[in-house]
Amino acid sequence: MTVEHEVLNVLDEVLSLNGRAAAFDRSTPLLGAIPELDSMAVVGLITALEERFGIVVDDDDIDGQTFASVGALTDFVAGKLAA
Amino acid sequence: MPPRPHAFFLEHRGRQCLAIFHAPAPATQARSAVLHVHAFAEEMNKARRMVALQARALAQAGHAVLLLDLMGCGDSSGDFGDADWDDWIADVLAGCDWLRQRVSAPLWLWGLRAGCLLSAAAAARLTPAADGMLLWQPPASGQMLLNQFLRLKAAGNLAEGQAKAVMADVRQRLAQGQGVEIAGYTMSAALAEGLARATVAPPQAPGHLIWLELTTRAEAGLSPAADKTLGAWRAAGWLTDSAVVNGPAFWQTTEIEDAPALLAATASAMDRAAPAVKQ
Repeated sequence: MTVEHEVLNVLDEVLSLNGRAAAFDRSTPLLGAIPELDSMAVVGLITALEERFGIVVDDDDIDGQTFASVGALTDFVAGKLAA
Repeated sequence: MPPRPHAFFLEHRGRQCLAIFHAPAPATQARSAVLHVHAFAEEMNKARRMVALQARALAQAGHAVLLLDLMGCGDSSGDFGDADWDDWIADVLAGCDWLRQRVSAPLWLWGLRAGCLLSAAAAARLTPAADGMLLWQPPASGQMLLNQFLRLKAAGNLAEGQAKAVMADVRQRLAQGQGVEIAGYTMSAALAEGLARATVAPPQAPGHLIWLELTTRAEAGLSPAADKTLGAWRAAGWLTDSAVVNGPAFWQTTEIEDAPALLAATASAMDRAAPAVKQ
């Protein structure tokens, strides 16, 4: 399973999208575009990504850009995995 | 038809903690007395339904269950902002006392997330010791949970790009003994400190441990960290029963969700660990 696929799985679960994430691609906007993605959900997302991928998200990493789109989020996770 | 749960206020230290008691059905000798120790802040709210479902199921199976809102949480008196970790441990111990005075059965502490940390801390102070611990999704540490909670402050500032500064400010305030406001909750520095130091270390006097985690991954075992912690419990003499079941992280999902696999796993694990009393 690709990183993008796993990221979409996490998005779908945390935001209770009921399968809607399957239709997302890299260009799909997240923060500001998905009503379910409020502060609590962002934190839930970070936690789930940490646990799913075994990465650590630092305070510095919490940036609007990271959550701007599926592509941005995927690249962020991939970057952490490669580190 | 099971008896209706009994809601009341447990008077303790001049405060009132909302308590809900699920008597075992049929109303004969309980096979265990279970105190639920709830999760932290919004996690508690989101988990209400699953906890209620499990409490009812346990009562149906013959266990006595007490649900307790800790100081400043849910419908209990006191302000969340005035609560500290020791207050909550004291509340948990009061809940244990209440059960022990009324139910002659092995005492179990059932924690969810931060409730697992509180359960372990309270169990370390219980005399006589608890007979069992039922832990749902124990966090790796209190520090990790605290970090996740503090992030809510940064997450609220995502659009402005001030996350790092916000986080640094929050941590500094706490270090200076000041409370912080996060997602509508005021957290005292004392509470943050207590949470940061909390671990899922095994209480001394061993009993039964049921450790259950949830995942939506197809094949997932316990994390290496969880494996290691379980090893420590076994080394301390605890009989451990652990599993990872399929289901959503209902304490944090956007919608209120059920995890039927967890209800089933809990029921069967409790069946094994707290057998029915011969009448």
